Amino acid sequence: MFRKILVANRGEIALRVLSACKELDIRTVAVYSEADRHALHVRFADEAICIGPPRSSESYLNIPQVISAAEVANVDGIHPGYGFLSENANFAEVCEASHITFIGPSPELIRMMGEKDRARTEMAAAGLPIIPGSDGVVPDEAAAKKVAAEIGLPLMIKAAEGGGGRGMRVVRTKRELIPAFQTARTEAEQAFGSPHVYMEKLIERPRHIEFQVLGDRHGNVIHLGERECSLQRRHQKVLEESPSMALDAATRERIGCKVVQALSKVGYSNAGTVEFLRDDSGKLYFIEMNARVQVEHPVTEMVTQVDIVKAQIRVAAGERLEDAVGSFQPRGHAIECRINAEDPDTFVPSPGRITAFRVPGGPGIRVDTAAYADAVIPPYYDSLIAKLVAHGRDRAEAIARMHGALDGFVVEGIKTTIPLHKRILAEPDFIAGKFDTHFLERLTPVEAR
Amino acid sequence: MAKKSKPVFGGGSDIRGVDLVEVERLLAFMQKHGLEEFEYETSSIHIRLKKASAQSTGPVQVIPASEVSALPATASTESTAAARSSPAGATDDLHLIKSPIVGTFYAAPSPGADPFVVRGGRVDVGQVLCIIEAMKLMNEIESDVAGEIAQVYVENGSPVEYGQPLFGIRPQGKK
Repeated sequence: MFRKILVANRGEIALRVLSACKELDIRTVAVYSEADRHALHVRFADEAICIGPPRSSESYLNIPQVISAAEVANVDGIHPGYGFLSENANFAEVCEASHITFIGPSPELIRMMGEKDRARTEMAAAGLPIIPGSDGVVPDEAAAKKVAAEIGLPLMIKAAEGGGGRGMRVVRTKRELIPAFQTARTEAEQAFGSPHVYMEKLIERPRHIEFQVLGDRHGNVIHLGERECSLQRRHQKVLEESPSMALDAATRERIGCKVVQALSKVGYSNAGTVEFLRDDSGKLYFIEMNARVQVEHPVTEMVTQVDIVKAQIRVAAGERLEDAVGSFQPRGHAIECRINAEDPDTFVPSPGRITAFRVPGGPGIRVDTAAYADAVIPPYYDSLIAKLVAHGRDRAEAIARMHGALDGFVVEGIKTTIPLHKRILAEPDFIAGKFDTHFLERLTPVEAR
Repeated sequence: MAKKSKPVFGGGSDIRGVDLVEVERLLAFMQKHGLEEFEYETSSIHIRLKKASAQSTGPVQVIPASEVSALPATASTESTAAARSSPAGATDDLHLIKSPIVGTFYAAPSPGADPFVVRGGRVDVGQVLCIIEAMKLMNEIESDVAGEIAQVYVENGSPVEYGQPLFGIRPQGKK
């Protein structure tokens, strides 16, 4: 087991890792930027080392500084949290070269999953369904018709060399196909200098469903069920829950098995999340994998009672899954609301000093936060200030508990998205479980300029 | 049980030993001079008044001496960052050389050799003051001012963090 672990992160996830280390009797080292001098992770760690000025690039993302701190403090493990260096294969390699265990997957797997095209190819080869599409560039009209017949409608024609919405066409009927193909090619040539386009099935009202996995260093992989993360704004998750109302037991079993098989095949170890899009007909398509612990991991922890961060540390120390995790039984339903320091209507960031801070409690309520009264939320990092998680015997109870918890969560001095979450939870479609990734856009049509 | 300390101000209604009439006078003083925040301390009482603004609910905070142990003894409660970066014995006219990296501090170019600089010695801009080893690389730290080494804050071989004061230099003309 590790003797001493350095947490290469800040905020609530740093506190999360510190508490897992404490439970395992492992000494802890925090690193911090000058902006985080009064942060809780600095206060609660056994040792703390200042590694740079406020900017992330000069502190939390500064590999030489982090490694130097690890050497000076003589640690034998580094936990990267999420974000920052957690999916930096180079950093994982530098840790290995410095004889410090990186608590996460191997550099090779981080690299594989980090290159999104490669991840899709590898996972498809390993048996996971991916979004049907042309195999590369569609050279002519005949090929376009063939691909359309294979993947079905509606579909998207996209410029191979571009982005930003140009050289993209949606095709809903057979009649539109060839004109759209021709226009897309022309537009692509004009915008990007190349007429090359590819085609992909369009999922109009997708639901984002992800599976939590854990692997050990002995070739064993398990999954801990799925999370539904369809409530997003500009591709940032706002609210997550488990289990998903869109999955029946048979689908969960089937996809879960495929996920475990695919990851065993590539030799995955430590924590990770496999992300899918689900279309109207119920089919799931692999889109990408995050080779790290995720922000929303508490949702799965509340339902399975498995401590994912402790499991990460234990498998990194060489333990087998059966010891690091043991058996578990999913129970009930959990929801997480990400509370950000933002205006709840315009989403403009609201850094500053918190003047009052009262966290809710009671049965089934968990709050992961590094904020406190009199704390200053710095402008240099992301705006997440707390994760509020509610668990209940069923979804209705989880929602009811979340309502009460949101009402009892007092934050003054800065603006937060607590009012937005109250709105979401009151929406009939949310309560009925009828939503997709466009739900939040429809709910908040007036955006910040 | 020890008696609570005497109120600072006499007469008038009071809460926890503080004369509210006096507090009102302080508030009027703040209003007159357009102050947002006002802090006042004696050996027996510490008052901090903050104006309510759009963002904060800023209540009046009155902390009698019996509870003042929770606050630092210095007049300002918000300068802990400054306090940490000014080591004991630092005087205002010293220019601090702070470590730009995390690592191990070495006073001399090699074990057994003479140190780069000593207390009382004079240095020029660009002169190497010490080495900080990080990830097996030796980084030479240069002075950015000319003057006299007044203080050496770290011991040879000890770990240093970003921003940690290494030397205090009294700036003077060139050598």
